[in-house]
Amino acid sequence: MSTEDQIADTVAEAPRVSRTALIFGGRCLVVVALLLAWEGCARHFGMLFFAPPLATFKRIVDIAASGALITDLVATLRVSAIGFAIGCAGGVLMPFVLRRLPRLTLAIEPYIQASMGIPKYALAPWLILWFGIGDAPKLIVVSIMVFYVMFIQVFAGIRAVDQRLVNMARIAGASEMAIARDIVWASLMPYLFTGLKIAMPRAVSATIVGEFLVATAGIGYSIEHARQLSDTVGVFAGIAVAIVLVLAIHLVVDAIERRILAWRPVDRDMEL
Amino acid sequence: MPVEMNGAPLLEVRGLGKRFRARHGRETSPWVIRDLSFTVRDGEFLTMIGPSGSGKSTLLNMIAQVDVATSGEIVFDGAPVPMTDPKTLRPGLDRRIGYVTQDDNLLPWRTTMENVLFPLKVQGRLTEATRAHAESLFRAVGLAGAEGHYPHELSGGMRKRAALIRTLVYDPPIILMDEPFGAVDAQTRVQLQDDLLRLWALGRKTIVFVTHDITEAIALGDRVLVLSKQPTRIAAEHAIPIPRPRNVRDIFALEGFAPLYEKIRAQVQ
Repeated sequence: MSTEDQIADTVAEAPRVSRTALIFGGRCLVVVALLLAWEGCARHFGMLFFAPPLATFKRIVDIAASGALITDLVATLRVSAIGFAIGCAGGVLMPFVLRRLPRLTLAIEPYIQASMGIPKYALAPWLILWFGIGDAPKLIVVSIMVFYVMFIQVFAGIRAVDQRLVNMARIAGASEMAIARDIVWASLMPYLFTGLKIAMPRAVSATIVGEFLVATAGIGYSIEHARQLSDTVGVFAGIAVAIVLVLAIHLVVDAIERRILAWRPVDRDMEL
Repeated sequence: MPVEMNGAPLLEVRGLGKRFRARHGRETSPWVIRDLSFTVRDGEFLTMIGPSGSGKSTLLNMIAQVDVATSGEIVFDGAPVPMTDPKTLRPGLDRRIGYVTQDDNLLPWRTTMENVLFPLKVQGRLTEATRAHAESLFRAVGLAGAEGHYPHELSGGMRKRAALIRTLVYDPPIILMDEPFGAVDAQTRVQLQDDLLRLWALGRKTIVFVTHDITEAIALGDRVLVLSKQPTRIAAEHAIPIPRPRNVRDIFALEGFAPLYEKIRAQVQ
């Protein structure tokens, strides 16, 4: 109880409140500045090259009202989520398998490195040739993108596991399964969340790029459709929706991370 | 107490040697530990004292089977245990050797109580009864109130206590301790020693306690082994004639302490 009070005391220092307010005020200022610059650009370059913020906002309200926004969001989220799930499963499981096979790991490591050099978006036209104009080419590109990010993060996390904790668990009679779950998995959580924060926005943008090429709905489809009609307001509306979507996903991941990594002292002490 | 002093050997270390692999080429690295032998009787509190760098941790790591030996063997409860092949090492020897390391090695993502219950959980032995036992140990060392705190929220002394009872909860027949009270202040250290002796008096576990503090070695043990410089061997052995229960706080004043301290200090060079 007394320990709890001490901790509460050190956390709730006086200047924190004004600091939070300062940061919030700063963020508002940045938004206002960006909107002003946006409006300025729109007036300077004209509607065709730069859609004004108000028109963009009105368009988003319109497509929301007509139901087109929901259709697009669902289409994009569906492909992103499935592709993300596939890539994430592979990128997380493979390091766990390789951890048990150190010689195989050394043998294939250079090839994994080399394969990272493949420009993933450039695969899309070729994948369309193979799999047609359904969801498959998009799913493959998204999964590959996500796979590499998660693989690198989780692999680094596994290599950074504190061997002393593993020894402690072995001596205490933990099975390899228990060690994988209670030590390795738990200690790579920070790495995993860093990976998720990078991979999730990438999954969405890869889906959108895929939708430029093949789609009948989706945010990317609506942006490309508007572009073909020289409807710059439509393009901007699509981009704005994509930004908000990625931001929303990020906030959800962030909230989950804060819950799961509540044990970390650094997160509390270094919180902005 | 004389009954325990004459107990059967529980652990025998025979001709233990360790040299680390040479970095490159054929030059051989020197022996860190060479031809080290000793016996621990059942129920005995054995302390070992040696200068820093005398391979104390390496020695315990090999006995706990997390590090491979270059030569020698241990005999546990009458059965020889191979220890020179990394593939046949059995860390903790099927939960029969407990090990309290120098670092507390608490899991930072688990609360203090979860850390203490960890061995029971992974051994599938977490029942009402074992949990109650763990909770009573938890209170006995003054950790009450810290159940839900994470290790980084605890003081050094509390972390040491948690690490100690994490091993005590699953009751291994022998416990190795590697300077478990090393990195705490003198006050806390005496308190921890006192706690340990109290707990030991209840269960009479077999303990091998390694330290570089002569006072600690005398205060806690039934017998003390003095280790030499590298390559480490047993340089001397002393029975500790101070009767129990002992008061760790004025161990200096007790009869027999001063001459033994002087003798050991001369040998630990």
